[in-house]
Amino acid sequence: MSTTRKLIEALRERLGQADPLPSPPAIPRIQAPPARVFPTARTRSCYAEQAAAHTAAILGIGHVGTRYATDVVLQFQAELAVAHDAVHTVLPDDWAQSQGLLPLKSRVEDHHQFLLRPDLGRRLDEESLERLRGNAIQDVDIQPILADGLSAVATMGSGIRLLETFSNECRFRGWTVGTPMCAKYARVWLQDEIGETVGARVACILLGERPGLGTGDGLSAYMVYEPRMGKTDSDRNMISNIHARGIVPELAGRQLAMMAGAMLDQKTSGVSLDLSGLTAELGQAASGGYREPQRRVRLVETDR
Amino acid sequence: MQLAATIRGTKYRFDSIKEVLAKANPPKSGDDQAGISARDPVERVAARAVLAELTLHDLRENPVVPYELDELTRLVEDTLHADAYQAIRSLTVGQFREWLLETSTTGPLIRSISRGLTPEMAAAASKLMSNMDLMIVGAKCEVVVRANNTLGLPGRLSARLQPNHPTDNVEGILFSTREGLSYGCGDAVIGVNPATESAESTAEILRALNGVTTRNNIPTQNCVLSHVTVQMDALRLGDVPMDLMFQSFSGSEKGNRAFGISVALMDEAYAMMSELRSSHGPNFMYFETGQGSALSSDAHHGADQVTLEARCYGFARRYKPFLVNTVVGFIGPEYLEDGAQITRAALEDHFMGKLLGLPMGCDACFTYHSAMGQNELECLKVLLGAAGCSYLMSLPVGDDIMLNYQSTSFHDIPSVRGLVQRRPTPEFDAWLHEMGIMDGLKPGPRFGDPGVIR
Repeated sequence: MSTTRKLIEALRERLGQADPLPSPPAIPRIQAPPARVFPTARTRSCYAEQAAAHTAAILGIGHVGTRYATDVVLQFQAELAVAHDAVHTVLPDDWAQSQGLLPLKSRVEDHHQFLLRPDLGRRLDEESLERLRGNAIQDVDIQPILADGLSAVATMGSGIRLLETFSNECRFRGWTVGTPMCAKYARVWLQDEIGETVGARVACILLGERPGLGTGDGLSAYMVYEPRMGKTDSDRNMISNIHARGIVPELAGRQLAMMAGAMLDQKTSGVSLDLSGLTAELGQAASGGYREPQRRVRLVETDR
Repeated sequence: MQLAATIRGTKYRFDSIKEVLAKANPPKSGDDQAGISARDPVERVAARAVLAELTLHDLRENPVVPYELDELTRLVEDTLHADAYQAIRSLTVGQFREWLLETSTTGPLIRSISRGLTPEMAAAASKLMSNMDLMIVGAKCEVVVRANNTLGLPGRLSARLQPNHPTDNVEGILFSTREGLSYGCGDAVIGVNPATESAESTAEILRALNGVTTRNNIPTQNCVLSHVTVQMDALRLGDVPMDLMFQSFSGSEKGNRAFGISVALMDEAYAMMSELRSSHGPNFMYFETGQGSALSSDAHHGADQVTLEARCYGFARRYKPFLVNTVVGFIGPEYLEDGAQITRAALEDHFMGKLLGLPMGCDACFTYHSAMGQNELECLKVLLGAAGCSYLMSLPVGDDIMLNYQSTSFHDIPSVRGLVQRRPTPEFDAWLHEMGIMDGLKPGPRFGDPGVIR
């Protein structure tokens, strides 16, 4: 036998070649770990309780080993599912008409393309352009546009209420308001082509915003003075976080009308629009755009 | 120069090295959006075959943005290390890939020629590499940097603690900070993305974070990631404890103009930090990057997003940063469509950054409209840990309540460290042990107990 072979044999001997493999260890009594749950007002730890007064971050949730408790996993998965569901919901083709809105569509062909080609979502397809020219009131002060954006769930949820509140607030102020319309597969900049086509002084697109964890129902509104293609983000003003737990549609509609008034007065929009006179009324919208913290709600309840 | 290859009798011709680089790229939705990607998988391989035969000298002579048009190209060209370049200039890209993978090519050896590499060379090598190739070479590279602690030593994996808050509520930021520390996170930096871009607010957050690290004797760095000009204003306020200065980078002069920066501005910021920083060490800058940023401001010059990303690192290395990370999935599906593309980009960026001599970390993340799920993201974190990534991010449940995206969680950091057997920076490791938070790689008695932090 070669030396190597002998060494391998000796090694196998040392590893217990002749012994049977060990049997499984004795079974102990298994105890359920202490309850660790996603912190609700009723169940949260002292740290979670104190933190909740200052932040919506999920804190004070404890751990099992280095991982999450089961209840935390379920809450997290529910929040993630809500966000993904909002992104993947497609606005039904007949929804706009069923709501009495002029139906429009961007150059995007399907939802997958919508996510990958923002450029196509910023232009109207030929048919919609014809429909807009033929059916929409021209030369209006304000053109509101409802659209799906990144959450058709939000559009179908509180979109109509926001559209109506905003339009009524504008009429109440004596401005002419354009034909109510709804655009599918729309990005923010689509308001430029629509507004330019109908000759609006101000265009305002109301669309589903990119969902965050647990929030798939938020709308954002972007407004631009003298809409025309070639306008950039710095020409726009916006209000975000419009939903039942954030800025409610009724309040947002009123704030948007005030913003439109500032644009009509100052004949400009975006970074050069001075909203300092409206700080009290507009709140965070006047200061340029961060979101209010969302309030977290427990999403999973099981019947026992 | 002949740029053509034949596959199964079909001849594929390319007009420029820039086109070869773009078409050799693995599929990326951003390259599709720019209209520069290969039209099919066979053309992609043909481009790689052509690329494999080009020399590193060819790549130096053909930067993707011309010298005359772009200050980043000029910066790289004018500061390239002559001897290091001489050592590798005649290798083809194919040979360079093989040299990097050879067992005899050690981390220090790679480091010795790093300063002779242009970003285009690093990008080119990545295009001939599989994911595991990228990991093997990435893991070899050793980039050690020092501020208040020592980052990047072998067997180490650090974490940025990212306690963001949508209204910069300082109390809220500190609640997240204390919890993160109790999970062993925060040795790379405690870094806040502010909602408000003002010098006063930046200073206020820095002072609050400094209070925590001073009271508890924590060997780490603090940073508020406002625009560099805002941080410079904050420094001018006087007596502001700024350990690291931050800025986002893009891969072309035009892209950086959209970010409101230039080489001259960054030089000025660097000089200011050299004088006024509160950290103790030779490295004090922090940069973030991410594939697609140039295209999003129409500043890509027809080049692909991997090559442009590498050019960010060519810029970054001028300032000997303490931290550089790609924010890989943040930009959205129009640039990186799904989990496969985000994973690939993360490994590419880590490889290219390390190869160019940077302490490279990664924000492994996705936005909720990308086609990536939680399990895929968890896999990516482990891959990055195995690839020797310098640091990951960490947030409560990985959820950024300010920027609305999903990243690494407080719980993920000790989990990945345990799986790939890596520990935090030695100084922070000792602090965690003293506090009872960690016992080596295992959770200690006070693990996950934020009450331990004052």
